[in-house]
Amino acid sequence: MRSTRSVVAPGNDAGMGRFSDPPLLVLASLASGPKHGHAMIEDIAGLCGTRLGPGTLYGAIARLEQQGWIEPLPPEDRRQPYRITGAGLRVLRARLGTLQQFAKAGRKRLEAL
Amino acid sequence: MNRAVARLLTSLYPRAWRARFGSEFEALLESGQGGLHTFVNVVLSALREHIFPTQGGKMNQPALSFGAIVRRPSAFVPMAMSLTALALVLGHIALYGAVREADEGATAHLWQILMAGQLPVLIFFAIKWLPRAPRQTLCVLGLQAGAVLASVAPVLIFNL
Repeated sequence: MRSTRSVVAPGNDAGMGRFSDPPLLVLASLASGPKHGHAMIEDIAGLCGTRLGPGTLYGAIARLEQQGWIEPLPPEDRRQPYRITGAGLRVLRARLGTLQQFAKAGRKRLEAL
Repeated sequence: MNRAVARLLTSLYPRAWRARFGSEFEALLESGQGGLHTFVNVVLSALREHIFPTQGGKMNQPALSFGAIVRRPSAFVPMAMSLTALALVLGHIALYGAVREADEGATAHLWQILMAGQLPVLIFFAIKWLPRAPRQTLCVLGLQAGAVLASVAPVLIFNL
């Protein structure tokens, strides 16, 4: 069950929602290097102000691993680090490209006002 | 979070999921602060995992066979209800003939109860098993649909 919590102080965009696509957030977090669960939560919170719940995070991890977009590394004590795979990087690039196009089109429309 | 609470929350997940992610998930819960938000998040995520299991709930276990699924009560009970309804209709035709009666009798009411009563079981079966073993579940659903059609056919053919 998706559950995310904003850790960014409400500003002018309050009420506009927040970016909360857990699999994409996990991929983006792992793009900067392998991480275990707690490090991913902190990294994502710093990246976009969204703090994933542990259940949400592992829901995303399980499905990303199933897709072959991330893979586990040898465990460190009881913590399990993950890294993004080549396929995961391609998916991340494609998704970010789409978001970039969307943002560009949105900005153009705003400029035209 | 307290280790006992973390273990309790992890135990809410299906066994196959725990076998794969249980230890690391428990470690993650222990490293966090907990709180109501975490508790609700984990409970709902565990519930979701029961309904829509990752990898169809298989993880490292062998795939569920058709035989294993068809033996589930939610698979065979609807078929049994349809076949009982069919037997009732055929028995009624054998005893009283294929005559449409002005008033619905006990047989008709029983038939209606059996046919309507299996609907929630069918829905439950589809929701539970389609994500886990789609092909095998579709085969069972096909059998269930066949049993329903077999039960409805004499009613339509003889216009009872």
